[in-house]
Amino acid sequence: MAVDDRSEAIVKTFAVKPKLKPTTNKSTPTPESKYWKSFKPKQTQTLVSSITSLAFSPIAPHDFAATHSATVTIFSSQTLEPKSTIAAFKDTATSACFRSDGQLIAAGSYSGLIQVFDVKKRSALRRLRGHSRPVHFVSYPRVDKLHLFSGGDDAVVKYWDVSSEISIHNLIGHKDYVRCGDGSPASDDMFVTGSYDHSVRVWDVRVSSDASMLNINHGAPVEDVIYLPSGGLIATAGGNNVKIWDVIGGGKLLHSMESHNKTVTSLTVGKIGKDSGSDVANQYRILSVSLDGYMKVFDYSKLKITSSIRFPSSLMSVAFSPDCSTRVIGTSNGILYAGKRKTEEKPVGSVKSEWGKYVGFGAIDEPEKRVLRPSYFRYFHRGQSEKPSKGDFLIMRPKKVKLSEHDKLLKKFHHKEALVSALSVKNPENVVAVMEELVSRKKLLKCVSNLGVDELGLLLGFLQRYSTMPRYAGVLIALAKKVVESRADDITGSEELKSHIRNLKRSVTEEIRIQQSLQEIQGMISPLLKIAGRR
Amino acid sequence: MIRGGKSFVSSPPAFSNDAKKLLVCTGNTVSIFSTATGLQVTELEGHTALVTSIIVVPAPTPASRILCYCWTTSLDGTIKYWDFSVPELMKTINIQLPIYSMVIPSLLSQKSENNEKSPDIYAYLSVEDTKNEQNKQRKELSGQILKCNLSKSRLVRGVILTESKKPENITISSTGKYFGIHEKRKLRIWEVPAKDLKHVTHRKLKLSHTKNLSCIAFHPTERIVAAGDVTGRILIWRGFGDKTFAGDNLANGRLLMDEDEKPGVRGDGDADSCTTWHWHSAEVKVLFFSSDGAYLYSGGKEGVLVVWQLDTGKKKFLPRIGTPLLNFLNSPDPSLSSISCADNRIHILKTPSMEILKSISGIKLPSPVPETFRGSCNDFVFDHTAGLVAVRTENYCIQFYSLFDDREISEVQVCERNHQPSDDVTIILNLVALSFEGSVMCTVETRMAEEGIGGFVTLKFWESGSQNSDFSLSTVIYEPHRDSGVSAIAFHPTRDMAVSASYGGDFKVWVGSCESKQNDKLSQRTRWACHAVGSYRKKPMTAAAFSSDGSVLAVAAETVITLWDPEKNVLVAVIGSARESIVNLSFIGESNFLVSASRGSNPQLAVWSMSKLSISWSYKLQTEAVACSHKDSLLAVLAVLPESYKAQEHDETTLHDANGVILLFNAGDPVPIASWFVTKAKGGGLAFIQRSRSLGDNMDENPGPALLAYVNGDHEYAVFNPHGVETYERKIKHTDNVPGEGTGHFGYASMYGELPPTELKLKAIEASSVMPSERAWESIFSGPSHSLPPLTKLCSAFLESLLEKRSATVVE
Repeated sequence: MAVDDRSEAIVKTFAVKPKLKPTTNKSTPTPESKYWKSFKPKQTQTLVSSITSLAFSPIAPHDFAATHSATVTIFSSQTLEPKSTIAAFKDTATSACFRSDGQLIAAGSYSGLIQVFDVKKRSALRRLRGHSRPVHFVSYPRVDKLHLFSGGDDAVVKYWDVSSEISIHNLIGHKDYVRCGDGSPASDDMFVTGSYDHSVRVWDVRVSSDASMLNINHGAPVEDVIYLPSGGLIATAGGNNVKIWDVIGGGKLLHSMESHNKTVTSLTVGKIGKDSGSDVANQYRILSVSLDGYMKVFDYSKLKITSSIRFPSSLMSVAFSPDCSTRVIGTSNGILYAGKRKTEEKPVGSVKSEWGKYVGFGAIDEPEKRVLRPSYFRYFHRGQSEKPSKGDFLIMRPKKVKLSEHDKLLKKFHHKEALVSALSVKNPENVVAVMEELVSRKKLLKCVSNLGVDELGLLLGFLQRYSTMPRYAGVLIALAKKVVESRADDITGSEELKSHIRNLKRSVTEEIRIQQSLQEIQGMISPLLKIAGRR
Repeated sequence: MIRGGKSFVSSPPAFSNDAKKLLVCTGNTVSIFSTATGLQVTELEGHTALVTSIIVVPAPTPASRILCYCWTTSLDGTIKYWDFSVPELMKTINIQLPIYSMVIPSLLSQKSENNEKSPDIYAYLSVEDTKNEQNKQRKELSGQILKCNLSKSRLVRGVILTESKKPENITISSTGKYFGIHEKRKLRIWEVPAKDLKHVTHRKLKLSHTKNLSCIAFHPTERIVAAGDVTGRILIWRGFGDKTFAGDNLANGRLLMDEDEKPGVRGDGDADSCTTWHWHSAEVKVLFFSSDGAYLYSGGKEGVLVVWQLDTGKKKFLPRIGTPLLNFLNSPDPSLSSISCADNRIHILKTPSMEILKSISGIKLPSPVPETFRGSCNDFVFDHTAGLVAVRTENYCIQFYSLFDDREISEVQVCERNHQPSDDVTIILNLVALSFEGSVMCTVETRMAEEGIGGFVTLKFWESGSQNSDFSLSTVIYEPHRDSGVSAIAFHPTRDMAVSASYGGDFKVWVGSCESKQNDKLSQRTRWACHAVGSYRKKPMTAAAFSSDGSVLAVAAETVITLWDPEKNVLVAVIGSARESIVNLSFIGESNFLVSASRGSNPQLAVWSMSKLSISWSYKLQTEAVACSHKDSLLAVLAVLPESYKAQEHDETTLHDANGVILLFNAGDPVPIASWFVTKAKGGGLAFIQRSRSLGDNMDENPGPALLAYVNGDHEYAVFNPHGVETYERKIKHTDNVPGEGTGHFGYASMYGELPPTELKLKAIEASSVMPSERAWESIFSGPSHSLPPLTKLCSAFLESLLEKRSATVVE
């Protein structure tokens, strides 16, 4: 006995539903991966060649510089358009670096020359000569405005006094090209460099002049090295993996992240902005880019990859703006993916009223709510959007089944009209669902034979477009065959239908070709798999 | 012993005078349901065969509405008079002929004459004449309409109103003036004499039609009779019997006058006019006039109740009931009426608005299965712990029915589609399986193709929430085994794992992985995904089972049983070979025995020892169902008796309609512990179910051994204790009647004697002879072409040698 009130259930109407689509195995994106995906990469103009480095200005509005071929281009972070170009290089420019006040920019070059420019005037203020081979890394300390350190293919790390253009220390220790380095956020006198001899060295210019404080073996040529914001950890990129080391604890390996498939080219520290609105706000992440085209976000507190975004070409460099609003990725073929995060516009009124307070007018009052009278339309809707409070007993309104046109027609057993109405809406899923319903009523072929010439054209157009799609092919290919067989006379009579048939034929031959090549591939792979499985 | 699962719709129900109770014929008893709640109130027990009609004695005055008296008739040949409020049996009249229908005209027309001393009450019975054997053979007319004096408890001798081939249902007009039957293409209508005495002539008339008639209804006030026929037409004769039933004097005068103008009336039928309405496409099953006579209700196989306005012929519909209608009934309360449906359900309707207020639902009847799917369908499945049976229904639902409470628990709509009962079956719910604890359900539905277009199989996993709430859909898998059908589903006893075997030659192991949603709701859902695929020599896989600890998966590949490790998907062993393809596999509890059953011309029931990997014992039995207990090593088998056996034993009175036997075995022992004969074994099922707690109180405190539940082919069931004392006598009586050939010896063994036991050795895989250092790819193709093996064989060796080389370098 049905005791409950399922009486409606007995006479309910079911709408025709398409087959469910497979859902991805991944759960819904976490707020964090949503955050990282919210930097919509906008492809700006293509630069000439590989983008060797990217750097953000530490001063708002956080413009950024990109080095590519023999130029340094400075982009506005607001519009993501190039603002100015510095072209005073004889050879490929490398490793642009802003000074802590954002006034000056330093860049190395393959000629071995390091130049310091005024950002606004674009004139070279200082030229630091000393490296005999291409310079790959130039960096200002975090706060210090007077010094620079650099490294190059001559395996020497130099510490420069910028104003006098002389190198104070020549730090020797690396045995191969020095490719990267970073200044410590804790002390302006400490920095770290990485080299192709697989080693990462930590230097302190106060203590000793030419020996490194610490030597870490990464195990592969080091492509990039960064200090993490605390200053106690460094992250190194080399080969396919990124490793995190404890420099205070004597260079202990903390974690090795091995999720890239090709050489990791660049690292940077990213920060989850305050406006992301989740509990992970204001946490730091390591962003790594690789030649395999992936940018991965690594949470080094949980030792977990939290987001992974794919780009269509191999990536060379990455930078993240200090205000968490812009992320720039440079590729090997000169495309710059600059993504700006959409921030919600601050409500202008509140800013104004605040401003008004400062000026002394006092906050402008909100207009009072008008009393609703029956003459207003809203009067009749009053209280309908009221949310239930906690103790309220909710009485649900029975759900109304909304039936589409073809469902209504199917309900009345108007089969052909239902098929035509589904076809004219052009939602392939619904069309196939209606066809399946007709099949289960054994009426599909009768419908097809009853179609008029125009409607037949509609059906053929649909078949031509979708019959080779794997999702619908099971039904549609068999149907297409039957349609062509049963309506051959009508088709030969009409020129329009003939053209539909020609298109159908073309897509079928295309599909056959694809199938053949797939079978060839399967033939190649399956014996290998079989043997591999036997072991 | 608990019995239940009776049909609610075998004969029309009746409302009590205050319309608060509905009396329903349920097998040998009459169940009384409350119309307000839809729950069973009480039961009238006393008949020993099917109850065929109920007549509630109407209340002459509104004050006496609380009176609750009724007459019932049954196939056991008795008429009983009850006070159903108490409930108490008042009177029994034994006719000794099976009664199929009864009407009591005087009860309906009594109102005017209640001051007189109450005359004898006469009833008209439709009986089957089983006594008169010669008569039966001569004329083949076994149905008779007889008259019975209920007050004096005896038949009126010598009054046989008519004879027909089979007993017909008698329909009476609501005033009690006329009653009639439909017989083939004719209506026979009798007028009830105003003063009904013992010997009085009954005036009768005949109305004929060209098609077989299927139902009949009388107008409540006028002389109008409506009849439905098998093609869906409704015929309405107005003014019937003007000639026959009106006074004798007038008849002759009007006869000549009416001769010409009787539109639509066939032959010499005595009626003014006959009109035909045709809306139904199939047989009309239900016809009923509303109490004021303004409307006519009709229904049939389409599952649509049509309300006709009698004067204009305008129609109103109550569509999508989803099952053929069998009966419509008005209650004394004008706002209530009831429809009986063929799916064993009675709906209580609110008449003016045609809303369904309540449904009283019995166990769903077996749904028809097309011939091609006969093998791959299971009709029902048991939930062992909760004592439920899940029945698949015709309208794509799974009904959960409690065996202990004898009522429907819930219904799950598996396939969201409106069922048209009159259409061909194009979608069929093949299989249903429940996990051991009953929280996960797996269903398989097949859509049939229309000339090769658009057929597919769908596998669905359902799970219920924490508090035994309804099942919700968890995962849908389209075409789980490409285009081949699924033959069996089995659940892992402890883990979220299931296996589906297909006729296409492979089986798939599905694993459910739990995932909790990120947002704060604690909603957990399981996602089922394919874990492994296995096949054995591309043979169709016909049955599957997990062992009780879940460490072994047995899959029947047609005639052999393959044993797999379900985790690693490794073939462990292959045992035995049956003579027909195995349809049922199951591990017997925690013992190391496996039972397999095959049907067909060479049926076999075999028990395999898992420790020896060989057959332990077997019978040649046509098994219908196999059940294994979970704790101890008991095995119950439902076997269909062969025809020859039945014929030979027919003279024994105990077996007059038994066609099956339940045998109870101890796994290691081929001699059955007990046996029971059962009826309607075809399509039946067996299961050991755990004793529910409420039942445990009155039997014994500790949960004793599991009960055995038997459901027969009509979905009637019995639950009993296989070790109980009440069956002990019958046990002794029948143990020697066990059919079969005895243990072991048949086939080869019977001819040549026992074979020496062969040790089953697993062939050790030969170590690869290709040395890593040897450059096989250079030498493999050298040699004369006629001595080379075919290229197809060389290819894999060649590729393997290439692979070998690489691994060697890696090692270095």
